[in-house]
Amino acid sequence: MPEMPSEVTLDEVKERARLAGLVIPPARLDLVRGFLANALKPIRALDTRTVRTVEPAVIFNAGGNAGGGPEPRS
Amino acid sequence: MTADELCYAGIRELGGLFRRRELSPVDYATDLLRRIERVDKNLNSYVTVTAERALTDARAAETALQRGDAGPLTGIPIAYKDLYATRGIRTTAGSALLADWVPEEDCTCVTRLQRAGMVMLGKLITHEFAFGIQFPGHRFPPARNPWNLDHIPGGSSSGSGAALAAGLTVGSLGSDTGGSIRGPAAFCGIAGLKPTYGRVSRAGVVTLSWTLDHTGPMARSVEDCAFMLQALAGHDAADPASSREPVADYLAGLEGGVKGLRVGVVRDYFFEGVEAETVAAFERALGELGRLGATVRNVEIPSIHVTPAFMVIMLTEAYAYHARDLRERPQLYGEVLREKLMAGGLFHADEYVQAQRLRSQLRADTARVLESVDVLITPTALGPAPAFRVVLDPDFPFAKSNMGPFNMTGLPTLAVPTGFSASGLPLSMQISGRPFDEATVLRAGHAYQRATDWHRRRPPVRT
Repeated sequence: MPEMPSEVTLDEVKERARLAGLVIPPARLDLVRGFLANALKPIRALDTRTVRTVEPAVIFNAGGNAGGGPEPRS
Repeated sequence: MTADELCYAGIRELGGLFRRRELSPVDYATDLLRRIERVDKNLNSYVTVTAERALTDARAAETALQRGDAGPLTGIPIAYKDLYATRGIRTTAGSALLADWVPEEDCTCVTRLQRAGMVMLGKLITHEFAFGIQFPGHRFPPARNPWNLDHIPGGSSSGSGAALAAGLTVGSLGSDTGGSIRGPAAFCGIAGLKPTYGRVSRAGVVTLSWTLDHTGPMARSVEDCAFMLQALAGHDAADPASSREPVADYLAGLEGGVKGLRVGVVRDYFFEGVEAETVAAFERALGELGRLGATVRNVEIPSIHVTPAFMVIMLTEAYAYHARDLRERPQLYGEVLREKLMAGGLFHADEYVQAQRLRSQLRADTARVLESVDVLITPTALGPAPAFRVVLDPDFPFAKSNMGPFNMTGLPTLAVPTGFSASGLPLSMQISGRPFDEATVLRAGHAYQRATDWHRRRPPVRT
């Protein structure tokens, strides 16, 4: 598998927009590229094979003192 | 007390005046409504003034006071960010899309403050759909900063910040997805509390990003924030993220001071790009807390540099919320907002998942640091409020955020004024605590405000 590029190119932004079915005016592409590049920086730096497993999981609390969900029925 | 001093009075002081019959809530609401009429034409903080509703609420408060049935918030004026649903009162979210939305129900926060006896003055301008910057082409004229009309008041709770600083309300509610309570608080020289995620209900408040959105109080003092939080906090079955954690007494320990409080300062990340006078004011504030008995030391959050992943989560969730309207009614969005929301449609599923994993790492690391200190203190913003001419450039980038990490972690965080720039604009620090430990955060902020007078300074409002 090729290595993840660290930068986001204008061509990549155009390809992402095409896949998403979104039209971004050409004059704004570089601005959007900047958003993506900044936001994706830590993600592209992440080696998913070596990082400690940290799951974005919902935590259920049997005691019911935290978290959402409906009121327990009595 | 002069009329000008009275419009800047705090909740405790006003409550005393009401209970001793030295001031009538009806007269007070009437005076504030007149002041709004005179002053707000230069500030644009209100979208809707609910004068009749205010007087009805104030009369009810007067009756409660006469019955001896008054709580601490009875008769206290409040204005809501126009993102909070209000029954029978237009709620626009600052957008053309919701320009004619008149909700059939109050949101939970409004219900709770109404029940506590507060007097609704009106609805305050928000950036379009609470998105961080007020863009050109916005449906409403932007609120202006009372400290300098050429500068922004911050956002997205821009009207809340401006109205409080100008003495046009006593309390307000903002929402904070990436700093929208704390940013306006910092730029307008007031206090703003983003409570723990799940502490205050978001039911009936227009969504920006489900996992990052918080609601909370804004006021001129930390003590006033504590009064409002007391009425707001608590489980709400209508908000899936609402916590059942017991609600503390936020006022009981407020005067406890900071003697022995362990303060951690995160030097990495939070000081990058921060202007020198903001840093100087921050260091003076730390010195003051040390003088008051706190112990201050530097701490490290190893994963703090994952913070920009915040934007992946925020933009993806915002896009998910708006996707259908963006496709079917794109013309009803401001041009720049539309493009920024669309950027959220460009992230891939795996990138959103990885961003949430990084967030979990940041939460775990921050929790570990908060085992050895009681609070973290960092500069709220990089500098004072920028000028409109700077931020209205459509190419103005998202600045690095000192506030985003605490939306990622969901920790309670309070913005407090720390002084002024050479140009006369407010500066601010933020105090963050452990989950659901708003009491300690508020106690630290209140101790600092008892020792300083930055929050008592008033902008040069033309009346």
